[in-house]
Amino acid sequence: MMTHAYAPLRHAFRYGSSALSAAALAALMAAGPVAAAEPGSAAKQAADLAAGKADDPVVLKAPAPNARRVYVYDPKHFAAISQSFIIDGDTARVLGTADSGFMGNPIVASDGSFFGHANTVFSRIARGKRTDYVELLDSRTADPIADIELPNAPRFLVGTYPWMTALTPNNKTLLFYQFSPQPAVGVVDLAGKKFDRMIEVPDCYHIFPSSNDTFFMHCRDGSLLKVSIGADGKSQTKRTEIFHKENEYVINHPAYSPKNGRLVWPTYTGKIFQVDLSSQEAKFLPAIEAFTEAEKNDGWAPGGWQQVAYHRDSDRIFLLGDQRAASKHKAPSRFLFVIDAKSGKRLSKIELKHEIDSVGVSQDAKPQLYALSTGARTLFIFDPETGKEMSSVNQLGAGPQVITTSDM
Amino acid sequence: MRVLVLAATLAALSAGAALAAGALEVVPEAPAGSTEVKIAKMKFATPEVRIKAGSAVTWTNTEALPHNVHFKPGGSVDKELEGPMLRSNQTFSVQFNTPGTYDYICTPHPFMKGKVVVE
Ligand SMILES: [Cu+2]
Repeated sequence: MMTHAYAPLRHAFRYGSSALSAAALAALMAAGPVAAAEPGSAAKQAADLAAGKADDPVVLKAPAPNARRVYVYDPKHFAAISQSFIIDGDTARVLGTADSGFMGNPIVASDGSFFGHANTVFSRIARGKRTDYVELLDSRTADPIADIELPNAPRFLVGTYPWMTALTPNNKTLLFYQFSPQPAVGVVDLAGKKFDRMIEVPDCYHIFPSSNDTFFMHCRDGSLLKVSIGADGKSQTKRTEIFHKENEYVINHPAYSPKNGRLVWPTYTGKIFQVDLSSQEAKFLPAIEAFTEAEKNDGWAPGGWQQVAYHRDSDRIFLLGDQRAASKHKAPSRFLFVIDAKSGKRLSKIELKHEIDSVGVSQDAKPQLYALSTGARTLFIFDPETGKEMSSVNQLGAGPQVITTSDM
Repeated sequence: MRVLVLAATLAALSAGAALAAGALEVVPEAPAGSTEVKIAKMKFATPEVRIKAGSAVTWTNTEALPHNVHFKPGGSVDKELEGPMLRSNQTFSVQFNTPGTYDYICTPHPFMKGKVVVE
């Protein structure tokens, strides 16, 4: 009933429902034993009814966010209006939803205090005047707490790559990528609630903030670019060495942990580059091979959308992989490879038993592993230690693709 | 009927363009003495060329990957000019009527940059 409850709010937390009739409640009661009386549950409502308690509809608040708050973004296969699902990983319940525009970029504060999107809307649904803006929402009410317009429609409209829009570690600045007419990074002052400026950059892509005024990008020549934003408005850039060959294609969805500055970047063949950005300089760690030569010959390769996740505390890499034809790198995978980031050793291979497109991990001590199927529109929650599927959340829109958590 | 109306409109447009040519004027064929810029390997082979006002530049794409020439407003460019995508061996010519520096890119490959300095 929860997912069908109608809430007349644009963004809504809606895990209560008073829509069931007394007759339906009675039928539910008769159908089975009374479960634990969760808020909004049929049992709770029946008990309230029996006790003569008047129905008192209210707009609900979500519980305080924790490490297992998961956001699933559904770009709806390039539709003009998209949607985020706000999920509690502990209970595997949808807490609410938030609407977004065309090819939004979801963000979530590192302390969980807010979430939001860089958005694009048009005055006539998919045509007319274009407006780009950043919207921040309260993580308990989903009420807007900031709406900052971006001048001259600078957003890069692309299938959602999480690191094309990023928050600085103090959550006070949002950085977004512009592709055309020239590569640039937009700086949005979230604290002052205003657009600041565009920083022109060379032909480099993605944004990995390593401090509140420094970020790294990956350039077409195979180097990284360090950009110091500069308080006086004068930014400085510096290129690193070239760290991969021209025929080593790194994927569009690297994993990055802003808390320890680790960038984990697989190639199409499962070679994994790691860079430590914690010192504000790029330290290239030895590359790892996720698959043996024999496995590669048998067609094993990474594939999906968010193909890799990184757990900071345990220093572990989770990589989606399967046997696939060449150029099928965006097709889902049925297996997950757990790899020790330091030694490169494979710790386990989990058979997910679903066609999984994206993977994420909570950053608490005993993490949950999130495996999202775009085709099944379902988030499967696994215990990465045992490889067991613990729960799932279905009916997640039209084509959910992106998992976002915060490292609290 | 619609075709006829369109043809008439085009005739009117080209007459107007000839009367009031802007700083950048697309010309149908490479005029005699126009400066050549070849496009190859994701680059404008001569990214900076110098010409006299009133002369033209002709771009030729020499590879299978389509490219174009795109002037965005800013600097000496007062009006956007987005050239058509050129396939292999196709050309595009622009006559520059006013001195200045004209920066351009390739629309789908914004890292491809060039400039025309008109003296
Ligand atoms: Cu091009």
